Amino acid sequence: MITDNSKLVEATRGLRGITFPRVSLYGFLVLSVVSWAYIIFGVDSGLGDLFTGRSWSNAGHFFSQLLGLEGGLTGGGRPAFFDLGRWGETGKLAYKTLMMSVLAIGLAGFGVLVTFLPAARNVSNGELGGSPSLALGVLYHVLRLFFAFTRAVPELIWAMVIVFFLSPGILPGAIALGLHNYGIVGKLSAEVVENMDPGPARALRSAGAGNIQMLAYGIIPQAMPHFLTYLLYRWEVVIRTTVVVGFVSAGGLGQEFRLNLSFFQYTDVFLIILWYLILVLAVDLLSAFLRRMVLVR
Amino acid sequence: MSQYQNSSNRATHDINHSRFLVDGRGLSKVFGTLTAVSPLDIAIKAGERVALVGPSGSGKSTILYILAGLIPPDSGDLFLDSKSTVGLQPGRELSEFVGLIRQQLDLVPQLPVVQNVLAGRLGQWGLLRSLVSLFSARERDSVLATLSKLGIADKIDEPTSQLSGGEQQRVAIARLMLQAPKIILADEPVSSLDPARADEILRLLTGLADDIGGVMVASLHAPDLIREHFTRVIGLREGVLQFDIPSEELMPSVLEALYDLDQQPIPIS
Amino acid sequence: MTWTNSPFRSLDARRLLSLVLIGAFVWSLSSVDWRGGIVHTGGGDALKDFPLALFPPELSPGFLKLGLIASWQTVVHAVAGITLAIIIGLPLGIIASGSLGKPGRVRMLVAAVMRFILAFMRSIHELIWAVLFVAAFGLSSLAAVLAIAIPYAGILGRIYSELLNDVSEGPLDGLRSAGASPAGVLIYGRMPMVLTDLLSYGFYRFECAIRAAAIMSFVGIRGLGFEIQLSLHDLKFAEVWTLLLFLFGLVLLVDYWSTSVRRSLNS
Repeated sequence: MITDNSKLVEATRGLRGITFPRVSLYGFLVLSVVSWAYIIFGVDSGLGDLFTGRSWSNAGHFFSQLLGLEGGLTGGGRPAFFDLGRWGETGKLAYKTLMMSVLAIGLAGFGVLVTFLPAARNVSNGELGGSPSLALGVLYHVLRLFFAFTRAVPELIWAMVIVFFLSPGILPGAIALGLHNYGIVGKLSAEVVENMDPGPARALRSAGAGNIQMLAYGIIPQAMPHFLTYLLYRWEVVIRTTVVVGFVSAGGLGQEFRLNLSFFQYTDVFLIILWYLILVLAVDLLSAFLRRMVLVR
Repeated sequence: MSQYQNSSNRATHDINHSRFLVDGRGLSKVFGTLTAVSPLDIAIKAGERVALVGPSGSGKSTILYILAGLIPPDSGDLFLDSKSTVGLQPGRELSEFVGLIRQQLDLVPQLPVVQNVLAGRLGQWGLLRSLVSLFSARERDSVLATLSKLGIADKIDEPTSQLSGGEQQRVAIARLMLQAPKIILADEPVSSLDPARADEILRLLTGLADDIGGVMVASLHAPDLIREHFTRVIGLREGVLQFDIPSEELMPSVLEALYDLDQQPIPIS
Repeated sequence: MTWTNSPFRSLDARRLLSLVLIGAFVWSLSSVDWRGGIVHTGGGDALKDFPLALFPPELSPGFLKLGLIASWQTVVHAVAGITLAIIIGLPLGIIASGSLGKPGRVRMLVAAVMRFILAFMRSIHELIWAVLFVAAFGLSSLAAVLAIAIPYAGILGRIYSELLNDVSEGPLDGLRSAGASPAGVLIYGRMPMVLTDLLSYGFYRFECAIRAAAIMSFVGIRGLGFEIQLSLHDLKFAEVWTLLLFLFGLVLLVDYWSTSVRRSLNS
């Protein structure tokens, strides 16, 4: 019992006394009180509306229209999700959306594959062989900054910028998704290399391997399973975001979702949400299956 | 304590160092404030099998890494097979002379066995050949022959991470056999093994050295294994040579004194 | 699962998987409409002007002030969203962990249903929730906060339930033998043991919430995303860069804060 209690005490240790986490916690509490005050007493809080009943009945109408229980039906008065033809039409868009997510992950993966090695500190400073140089040192910092920046900007904002240059379709959306995920997977993959056991690489070196041979035989095979796993994990996130990016980049389900919403075709909106959930579920299952194949041991 | 050093050795290698496969003079290494190796001469003839003994931190591993070219010495000259290796980076040129096997084995766990063995050829292969080989193994026959000698031919296509510790050890030895260096260095090759396995591994390593007509230098602790498999013992403490004797003269009392924390004088005549 | 009972030997599987992934990527390229031209009319000029506009970005005091205000608005929505997510996610996570109530079928069923609900909440992207809420309740800050809170509560709830389930049983048995009810075990045992992890994970998600708040501009909520949209429409690329750098700085700051908190909590 003594040791058991000490475990309990241990767990809360960081939160007593004047410690950094404690100060941060209080700081965050103050911040959240201020934030809530700002929102509730702000001009467009919408809090007042919550008590009027009018907004609740609006919401009620909206959700029953979504489910096709009242008005606003198009095409023979049947809810879109009971119409096999509509299922097929939206299915094509779902396919486009799926392709957009695959393209996005492919672009991100390709980018990472080309850049993650010089972005690892132990490669750039010659710890894993090769000789350190100023150029490599600069490249390391530039890449790390680029990872951080592409990661910090959300996909949707990348998409808003990119549709300024590229024709609408799945490509700008895929590039936007790819950029954000490039930053995330790039950082993770570089860290895998940094935390790698240097022994095998050193052994290859003493067996006569040159720089590129060492990367090919020692470092890439060790990093590859982690890299693939990260890509598959991100694919699960990306499929959830494709619809949103489609809002602005005009590819797949996202655009249709927006159009239907602005034309008040609510049962179509619901159909799109159904397709979206099917995609999310399918990708989750497929990714879990594929991840088992690469099991990182 | 270097008065115990065998001075006859010293006199000979100035005259004719070509007899020595390993000929190091005044090698030293300091890490920060820690002296890993005080200036040390080490000369080894073809056919010799040298055991390095000493407590941890005595500089055994550092010496092996210096010989392997993995650590540049702070001072001194090193000739391997009569060629000066000062300034040579580990890799292509050194790998003809020296091969190192560590206790950790340092195999790439994700690669299949055949690739881990073929890594011993990387020093001889060109870049293109080694990249192609990753996808379709070259010289598969010689790998298979080597693995059969070691009794694990059936594991050739298995992921290395799936092999047992003993099997992985053989894979590392197979790699060394393909590399076929004249000087085989082994850092604690048997320290985590049961006596029977340790005996077998040392037999394989010395057999390899004999086949090539080279030398073996290994760090280890077990006196009976040293007497059985080695011709010569070098004792080290805090980077300083304590003794350099034929292995049959290694008495338990000598080792005890060497490992003694109070640093009693070592009873060597 | 080891390779012997996995459907493929792991090496072959890895090679096969790489081929499948490359194939899928190439196939996805074929879904792109290349004939219409990748860059649209006028896009070429914008593509040239946009990177150049970084040197320098818009740095007039007036615009910097606007950037600061927009950052504050983004932070406010992120903080409100994540706190609400914790408030919703914690009880749902406790239910999903199945550590309340008498052991038995009912408890397992309730926990399973709750896990499904949590999965549904996080399946739908925060912006879709936002679009739906705005359509239902009208445009308001609360709609945006709720839109952030729901998927994040889904994520936090799942993680919280896993954390609560993973505590070591020793201390809990001690409490049980002292006569504590499941609720007592939860309050005096499980919760204190995972408290730091709960906070740590909440802080980790705070950084993501900043990004979520920034894109709430899409439904009309003020903040960095909103200003970026306005500047883009006016083709003021230098301003866009300033705002992107504000967002970058904000995310770095929050990331740094949350990593430091988590590091000192876990050390």
